[in-house]
Amino acid sequence: MIATLSLLPSRWRALPHARRWGAGLLLALLAVAWLLPLAMPLDPARQDLMNILAAPSLAEPLGTDHLGRSQLARMAAAIRLSTGMALVSVLSAALPGVLLGVLAGWRGGWTDRALGLVADCVLALPGLLLVLLLAAIAPGQFWALYVGIALVLWVEYFRVVRATTRSLAASPQLQASRLLGFGHGYLLRRHLWPALAPAVSTLAAFGAANAILAIAALGFVSIGLEPPTAELGLMMTELLPYYREAPWIILQPIAVLFLLVLGCQLLAGREPQ
Amino acid sequence: MNRLTSLLLGRLLQAGLVAWGVGTLTFLLTRALPGDMAYRIAAGRYGYENVDRDAAEAVARELSLGGSPLGDYLYWLGDLARLDLGHSLVSGESVWSEVRHQLGHSLGLALVAVLLALLIGPPLGMLAGLRRDGWLDRANLLGAVLLRSLPSFVIGLLLIMVFSVGLGWFPAAGHGGAAHVWLPALALALGLAAVSTRVARNAMAGVARSPFYAFARTKGLSSWIAFRRHGLRNAGVPVVAYLGVQLVYLIEGVVVVESLFAWPGIGHALVHALVARDVPMVQGTALAMGLLFVALNTLVDLTCLLIDPRRRQA
Amino acid sequence: MFVRWLRATALTVGLIAAPSLQAAAADDRLDVVAPWEINSLDPSRAGHVFLRMQVAETLVDTDHEGRLVPGLAERWDTSADGRRWRFTLRDGVRFHDGSPLTAEAAVKALRRAAARPGMLSQAPIEAIEADGPAVVLRLSRPYALLPALLAHSSTQVLAPAAFDDDGDTVAVIGTGPYAVTSLQTPQRLTVERFDDYWGEPASIEQASYLAAPRGETRALMAQSGDADIVFTLDPASRLRLARQPNLTLATTPLPRTVTVKLNAAHPALADTSTRRALSLAVNRQGIARGVMRTPEAAANQLFPPALADWHRHEPATPARDLAAARALLDDQGWTLGDDGIRTRDGRRLALTLTTFADRPELPIIATALQDQWRELGVEVSVNVGNASEIPAGHHDGSLEMGLMARNYGLVPDPLATLREDFGPEGGDWGAMNWSDPRLTALLESLTETPPGEARRDQAHAAAELLDAALPVIPVAWYQQTAAVNARLDGFSLDPLERSYRLTELSWSET
Repeated sequence: MIATLSLLPSRWRALPHARRWGAGLLLALLAVAWLLPLAMPLDPARQDLMNILAAPSLAEPLGTDHLGRSQLARMAAAIRLSTGMALVSVLSAALPGVLLGVLAGWRGGWTDRALGLVADCVLALPGLLLVLLLAAIAPGQFWALYVGIALVLWVEYFRVVRATTRSLAASPQLQASRLLGFGHGYLLRRHLWPALAPAVSTLAAFGAANAILAIAALGFVSIGLEPPTAELGLMMTELLPYYREAPWIILQPIAVLFLLVLGCQLLAGREPQ
Repeated sequence: MNRLTSLLLGRLLQAGLVAWGVGTLTFLLTRALPGDMAYRIAAGRYGYENVDRDAAEAVARELSLGGSPLGDYLYWLGDLARLDLGHSLVSGESVWSEVRHQLGHSLGLALVAVLLALLIGPPLGMLAGLRRDGWLDRANLLGAVLLRSLPSFVIGLLLIMVFSVGLGWFPAAGHGGAAHVWLPALALALGLAAVSTRVARNAMAGVARSPFYAFARTKGLSSWIAFRRHGLRNAGVPVVAYLGVQLVYLIEGVVVVESLFAWPGIGHALVHALVARDVPMVQGTALAMGLLFVALNTLVDLTCLLIDPRRRQA
Repeated sequence: MFVRWLRATALTVGLIAAPSLQAAAADDRLDVVAPWEINSLDPSRAGHVFLRMQVAETLVDTDHEGRLVPGLAERWDTSADGRRWRFTLRDGVRFHDGSPLTAEAAVKALRRAAARPGMLSQAPIEAIEADGPAVVLRLSRPYALLPALLAHSSTQVLAPAAFDDDGDTVAVIGTGPYAVTSLQTPQRLTVERFDDYWGEPASIEQASYLAAPRGETRALMAQSGDADIVFTLDPASRLRLARQPNLTLATTPLPRTVTVKLNAAHPALADTSTRRALSLAVNRQGIARGVMRTPEAAANQLFPPALADWHRHEPATPARDLAAARALLDDQGWTLGDDGIRTRDGRRLALTLTTFADRPELPIIATALQDQWRELGVEVSVNVGNASEIPAGHHDGSLEMGLMARNYGLVPDPLATLREDFGPEGGDWGAMNWSDPRLTALLESLTETPPGEARRDQAHAAAELLDAALPVIPVAWYQQTAAVNARLDGFSLDPLERSYRLTELSWSET
């Protein structure tokens, strides 16, 4: 642990400019969301119906929402929930996607064809059906919605990883390493991952935003509403009716999502190989 | 077996599997989802105002709900194999006639959206890719990220506000005239273009750095001719290939955009059918969306074959 | 090649665009936009749309004051024992396909309606028969509400050719001043003036109906001029549209109340004082101002002002009194825990509030109630589901609390709905595991009391009983709002939502 920490500054300096910006952006967002509640009492559920859609002021730096709740408290809570959930969604999509992709690309033949067919079919099924099915297994649980979204998103990782692995498996460097008797683990770590990482991290960067936007779309058709939870995607849906009266409140979750995507993009932003 | 036949056969197999997947999934869904099915259907039929026990009992009697699960499943698959989807439990009309009507609307919308996306995304992305890290590239990145962080209903509302309420160029929502298609199509296209512009930019940047491109410039071709002869086609393949994956967003985006613009398409119908547990309609719409996706992907594959001669003799 | 292809794409897009730009221009068709979809052609499922668009008509109609007036039936009378009703049809009425309205056609339509779920199945009907130019309904017991039921949209009379041999509706062939020209379920309907109409002919020749489910879309359609009349405006858009110079806003109170249905058999809700505590903790003013955006929406009693006989002028439900509400729960033995939630005998005061999103304000009101009851020490979890979960939960006993919008004006006399909701066994959209013999007796005697002072006294007594015992807690009243384009004259709203009154409209001269 200590070793990792002491490594950080040197690694930080080694990062390209853009990626440093990206990491800084993400850290700042998370810090605000996690540290703010420690600094001041924030209740994202407390309402004041006589003070709805208030403009930002000293007392309420981000204004209030349609039920007079503090937007500052709600945004902080939403960032905490949504980033965590988006991470769950990205991981549960990326892990099976990458593993199956490597498997298909590496083994080739029937494994490849069968897995490819499954992926194509999943892609063709309306995602709404898949998400609903998972949401039904654990009703009223946010993670179920996010994992349901992952059920749709894993195919993207699979396709990209499979293509890269396939071309790499035939490459001379890999053949050489294999002849020298190196194990699968070594080949994966030494040859495959460095080639896969840029594409996978770019996909993951967009994947987080996709998951949050998918929740917003589900909320739009009244699926997954769970008052009084503050969640970035659902806030966009809930605040939509007030887009003209108080545009600044619907802009807040959108702006945060923008910063989140931008941060992820910059952090992941390696040139494609 | 040449490349073309194997491609088409593969897609045909996929279509069959999609049909089976839709059948199985809807079956699981209606069994697993909470809520009494007869009540749900009655709410869809008679409106939330008039759903009560009498209505639910009438529905249950009429449809003889509550058979054995396995029997129902096999029965469904049999119907599906004969492409007999039956009648909507809510409207009572034949599923095929409803789906045909909706699919026509969705197909028109999707087509215009893809065309608009191709006009907006790839040209901007290629320009950005030619001058990597130039101001256009930076602006392009920001624009793409911004569009990717806007939910499609917000994009749609902004479009209505600008082009309909503000400028009065297009009708705000609804359908019936050719003019109605533009705003929902543009709302979809902007989301699509955001991604394809980045794909085009990366592809173009790759081409611009390649030895053959450098050689083309060295041998004295003007930048425009080098771009036309060597850049376009090479950068075009990944853009078109990626379109296949992107179509997922299109099919999903349709659900929201159709609701917002009161467009009578298949996505809107799927949501309604799911809410009302209208099983035949869920199957019909999901099947139509799945097959539409397969068909569009086949088109993408064929286009790739056309652009890239190397693929033809694989 | 790629360039050529791009060029071709641009050309295609341009070709589609060119003619469509002109199509967006204003025309002389009256465009109506409302949230309700046209689920089906069947009168029992989507009859309301065809009645409102004045395509189909019922035997009994209502006037602007909500009183029953002759519709397709010229007059009606009842036998001395009240069990035989005779509705004499108007002469010279034609359906849109040219066939004449006969007693046989009306009997066919009514028998269909009675056999399907809907208002008519409530009446104790033994037989529906044709008798010369009249329709005769024989009942097993007297039922004074029958004419009111025959004003309901599900009893609309369509031509015999509208149904196939299986009894399914294949076309909407009515008798109204407008005839269907095209119908695309579930969203669009166009109609044109029917020149052989028996009554006052319409002034506007063509009209269309579009179902646009999102309130934001409807508001923008009014603003851009794409729609001439937009029904049901969302509260946030209303204020903005009121300032538009090309629009006028029409408002009328509806006989519709947002209520919380309570399961009176639930151990925590069985006692009247617990229900009263919950009612006292509701901030009705806040919900009316903050959520409904109309201060008049605060429901100080169950029945809104639109129900003249039932509404009492003095406020029947006191304003929010959190201290009194807390005291009531203290007396019940519910003690406040460390987490702010009350417990009694080791059980937490935690309840589930079920609601649905078909009316977009309901989930917001549910969220407001959740916080208001949290202040009282009640933990409420909100379940936003399908409307059918409330009647389904009513019957399997799983429902704890349900937030809903109840329309007491489904038929012109609210008594029909009230007898369903507050009968001895309760009702799907009314009381749950609660009944009061005094109320049952009052509702029974009201069916035989003619309009007047005595009827109003009885209605007030019934209303007082409901507001005191609180089998349902009133929260807010509804208002119907519509945005109307300035190029229209003669617009008015029907509080019973039976008709859009298109025939009274005309294009303004300016």
